[in-house]
Amino acid sequence: MEPLGFFGIAGHVILLFWPVWIAMAIVLGISYMFRANLGLYGKLYGSTPGIIGFSIVLFWFMTAIFADAIAPFDEISQISGMKNKVPGTPVPEMEGAYYLFGGDNLARDVFSRMVKGSQTVFVIAPAATLFAFMVGVTLGLPAGFFTGRLDTVLSFVANLVLAFPVILLFYLLVTPEIRNTGYELLRFGDFSWQSSIPNVLAAILFLFPIVFLLVLFQSKFYTRPELRNILVGVTLVIGTWYYLGFAFNADPLGVFAMDPNKLNIFVAVVFVNSPTVFRIVRGLVMDIKTRDYVAAAQTRGEGPWYIMLWEILPNARGPLIVDFCLRIGYTTILLGTLGFFGLGLSPESADWGSTINEGRKLLSIYPHPAIPPALALMSLVLGLNLLADGLREESLKD
Amino acid sequence: MAETPILEIENLSISFFVRAGEIPAVMDFSCKVMPGEAMGIVGESGCGKSTVALGIMRDMGNRGKIVGGTIKFKGRDMGEMSEAELRDLRGSQIAMIYQEPMASLNPAMKISKQLMEVPIIHDGATKEEAYQRSRDMLEAVRLPDPDRMMDSYPHQLSGGQQQRVVIAMALLSKPALLLLDEPTTALDVTVEAGIVELVKDLGKKFGTSMLFISHNLGLILETCDRITVMYSGEAVEAGQVDDVFDRMRHPYTQGLFRSIPLPGADKNSRPLIAIPGQLPLPHERPRGCNFGPRCHHFVDSVCNEREIPMHTVKGHKNHTSRCERFDELDWDALPEGVHATEPVEPGDVVLRMDSVKKYYSVAANQMFGGGETRTVKANETISFDARESETVAIVGESGCGKSTLAKMLLGLETATAGTISLGNRNIESVDIEHRDTETISAIQMVFQNPFDTLNPSQTVGSQIVRTLEMFKIGNTPGERRQTMLELLDMVKLPRAFENRMPRQLSGGQKQRIGVARCFAGRPKVVVADEPVSALDVSVQAAVTELLMDIQREAKTTMLFISHDLSVVRYIADRVVVMYLGHIVEQGSTDQIFSPPYHPYTEALLSAIPIADTSVQKKHIVLEGDIPSAMNPPSGCPFQTRCRFKDQVPNRLCETEVPPVRHMKGGHQLKCHLADSILAEMEPVISFEAKPKKAERKAPAKAKSSTAGRAKKTATKAATKGTTKRASSTSAAKAKTASAKSEAVRVGDAAVGFVDPNAGTAAKRPSKAELAKRKGAVDTTSRGKSKSKAPSGAAASKTASDGVRPKAVAKPENPDDLKKISGVGPKIEGILHDLGIYTYAQVASWKKAECDWVDDRLKFKGRIQREDWVSQAKKLAKGK
Repeated sequence: MEPLGFFGIAGHVILLFWPVWIAMAIVLGISYMFRANLGLYGKLYGSTPGIIGFSIVLFWFMTAIFADAIAPFDEISQISGMKNKVPGTPVPEMEGAYYLFGGDNLARDVFSRMVKGSQTVFVIAPAATLFAFMVGVTLGLPAGFFTGRLDTVLSFVANLVLAFPVILLFYLLVTPEIRNTGYELLRFGDFSWQSSIPNVLAAILFLFPIVFLLVLFQSKFYTRPELRNILVGVTLVIGTWYYLGFAFNADPLGVFAMDPNKLNIFVAVVFVNSPTVFRIVRGLVMDIKTRDYVAAAQTRGEGPWYIMLWEILPNARGPLIVDFCLRIGYTTILLGTLGFFGLGLSPESADWGSTINEGRKLLSIYPHPAIPPALALMSLVLGLNLLADGLREESLKD
Repeated sequence: MAETPILEIENLSISFFVRAGEIPAVMDFSCKVMPGEAMGIVGESGCGKSTVALGIMRDMGNRGKIVGGTIKFKGRDMGEMSEAELRDLRGSQIAMIYQEPMASLNPAMKISKQLMEVPIIHDGATKEEAYQRSRDMLEAVRLPDPDRMMDSYPHQLSGGQQQRVVIAMALLSKPALLLLDEPTTALDVTVEAGIVELVKDLGKKFGTSMLFISHNLGLILETCDRITVMYSGEAVEAGQVDDVFDRMRHPYTQGLFRSIPLPGADKNSRPLIAIPGQLPLPHERPRGCNFGPRCHHFVDSVCNEREIPMHTVKGHKNHTSRCERFDELDWDALPEGVHATEPVEPGDVVLRMDSVKKYYSVAANQMFGGGETRTVKANETISFDARESETVAIVGESGCGKSTLAKMLLGLETATAGTISLGNRNIESVDIEHRDTETISAIQMVFQNPFDTLNPSQTVGSQIVRTLEMFKIGNTPGERRQTMLELLDMVKLPRAFENRMPRQLSGGQKQRIGVARCFAGRPKVVVADEPVSALDVSVQAAVTELLMDIQREAKTTMLFISHDLSVVRYIADRVVVMYLGHIVEQGSTDQIFSPPYHPYTEALLSAIPIADTSVQKKHIVLEGDIPSAMNPPSGCPFQTRCRFKDQVPNRLCETEVPPVRHMKGGHQLKCHLADSILAEMEPVISFEAKPKKAERKAPAKAKSSTAGRAKKTATKAATKGTTKRASSTSAAKAKTASAKSEAVRVGDAAVGFVDPNAGTAAKRPSKAELAKRKGAVDTTSRGKSKSKAPSGAAASKTASDGVRPKAVAKPENPDDLKKISGVGPKIEGILHDLGIYTYAQVASWKKAECDWVDDRLKFKGRIQREDWVSQAKKLAKGK
């Protein structure tokens, strides 16, 4: 078989992405039709940078979902004779199969690794950002609302974390050795829990979403006990379940579980991001709490948590959504950086940072293994930034 | 007129181009400003008045564009000027003053540097020259201590001082045209009065033409010669201020005047009449007359037939109106649906505040504690009662502690000392979190800013339902929803609003929701914190009426917090005047609005701009600004600005806080002034008789109001006139009587006030009151005696009050009377007409003569204040 030329490669790539194209067409088409009723998301369709950004993000998101259908090869399987082969090289003894973006120095398909790498990003980055927001919001609201000593203490701690060099912090938090710190505190049969730093942090940080939701429901629906009981009950059941799974790796049903390496990174990312979110939320609360509708809520006897969660937080959503998008981008870069330094994830992992790091070693001779993951990382972050810009622009127009 | 106008705008149209397409902001706007003339543009928000100003400056951003018409400046078309020429013009020939003074000054530059830029850039002045000119200009705008001002940064000055600096900057280049875009909206009333007077004087002094943009008709009356009324992007009426104010020929203008509380309005007998509906959005303007859908006189296929041009009003000078039917309309008829109501008798005391104090301590350093703590005395010995279904107004400027008072009532703060009792419960030390539901729902608040009182991310319905939930009203969500819908009915909003988001509502509608929410728990006391001040004039009336209707029905006590005394006079039964945390005066509305006044009340009354040409005001402009509550003056809080301070012996004002003095009928004053001085105070607001107006209105009145009602009101007015004023001191009355004698002598009283049907009295009860004040004849007797008698009576009365000084023939060398400070060329002319030519003549005046001349000059008390007599004596000696 002849090696493929540039257009051949492009054509094959476009064809391979067919599930993504269809999914994108459906999502964008339907959203466009109903954009008038979709609030801020619908308005995004009126902003050029916003819709470009959203399309890029959606592309990678769909790629992550359909990665197994798209990738022609397994991300860690090696095919002999394909080591460092240039893009478009046909795979021997397989009819119609090519290494579209060439092979890396372990003879793995660069294209498949890039596609699979998107999964790591889309599992960790948004989830870690979401948790960071839960922590930042839950602490930032009372700090900004009550001010005084509570604010002083929390702000001081946040500043302390922010003052520490991020990369150094990651070196400390993400190294595998850190899992060996602390003592084994619990042991039931083959389950054990050690008070290592990531474990303790996980136990604390994963608690925040549950607390957040419980306070959210209790503060508003205590006037309607039946509804409150249902909501609080559901939150407690699901919350305990996921908490056991993620924080203690003890999910009885085995649905929620996290690889210790990923947990390390996850916890570290949440820990580093939450102080910044805390500061943003605190500032927003201080601004919004002077509005008359907050005073109106107070004068009808609402409790402080109702005011924070139902009066202030929804009206701080504009800047928070924008920051959320940007922060996913930063986290993606952070994950790439960590991968590049070989921290956290296992060496054979297909994540973009690790792939770039591996490709770097032979960059002067074979540039092709490093370029696709680098472009992927760049385009995703660019897409997130454009999306954030679009959202900011549209939310200000209201 | 041979003069070229400074500014001539012809058929100007300005549009903004946005994604949705072209939005016309100004259409077919024409106006002319002659040299030295002040033109007012008035209209509600969104009517395009600021866009006109920006169009003149050619500063409309990249979205705005002039799509038609011309703007000529001194005869030159500005559309043909190059960018460089325009740049040259801006700031030197045309200067603009904006609403927010802090935003017009660069916070990082000293005042001197910012001011000096103007002469350096536009006139190429040297630094020294520029400094000198800037300093002189600061003096001209009456800023105290100009040297210190020159050396300050903008944030070190108060709002009023900043605005004066901005005005100085605008005037430095001696512009031919000054554009003022709501220059005083951000300032307090007493500060506003100072700025307005300054602008007026400077206009005369420098001969600058002015374009004064405002939503406040009273301000326009005080400052402008001509006025243009704008509505929805078009000028709807233009003319001389007097014509437009007294003989308006456009239904919108009339609607505006009917919806503002003028001194004659009364909440029971002459309620405000709101303009129905709301301003159309720019892309939803109707065909034909833009005001059509809201107009009482709308006639299909006349008003919506074509785009309506400006019609000239015959018989009025330069008066134009954009109304097709102004010739056919009866301009004095009241629209239907106006009903007088019986005044409600106040019941038992519901809320009692007794010596309530609120001090805040402000720590210097929060983080590590320590540092010195300072005490801010926000409220100082506040005592007053409020009865059931009574409206108590709390009046004062920013920083007077009225918001702190509201917070204490609502439980957002607790009192430092004293007691607040609501019914039989003491609530002064119970904060909101510890109050029971009953107390919370018994005292509720309507907030000031409608754009802020509703949570923007919840539907209107859910916010009301939430309130019901909190007040434990209704048992099921269904019941509460039903109550919520009834509340929407109560505030006259369609039930479909249940699912609207606040941003889909107009300001007035939002405020109605605020009212509904406030009355959801059937409160006993409602604190209304300037509930209408942020709304447009035409909407204000509707919301005010709604609030009062609900109050009347629910027998609620209302604490109405406001700085606007016209609204207060209209709405309140009793008034509490606050200054720097102290209650300086309180009493019934009549007691507050008639002498004796507290000096601060007097200044406040004089500061409100009143949009009525028949009202005469005494001009009292307070010096300086309100002191900070952090650092209040010693003794009387008002002593730093009081004009009576030197009349109290022993510097008592500076050393001792005055005690509360109980006057007649529960009227309380906090002042050191002696009784005799208080007794001599004159009313600030008085009516000037207007013959033309009275003649015109009388017959129409008789037609429009039924005879029965007219009579009833007339009798009421008459009794009011006699009883109400009985308490006011006779000395003050006598003075006013003479002050008005001129007008009465002309004979207008015969026609104006002595209508057999008492029609005028029906229209404006205070006219009767005014007649009483004139002391000419007793109102009732005049009703019978008809035309000649009163004028004779009035004339004979005149002689008894004030004595005409002896006149002489013009001597060969008349003295230069202008040397007496306070006498200008104009006054000199009047004095000459009276046969007064020499210092000796003036020097011989006694009080009676002074009074007589004073009345002729229409300067209340100026002759005595400036002591012309002793000045003249000195001059006569020195001759």
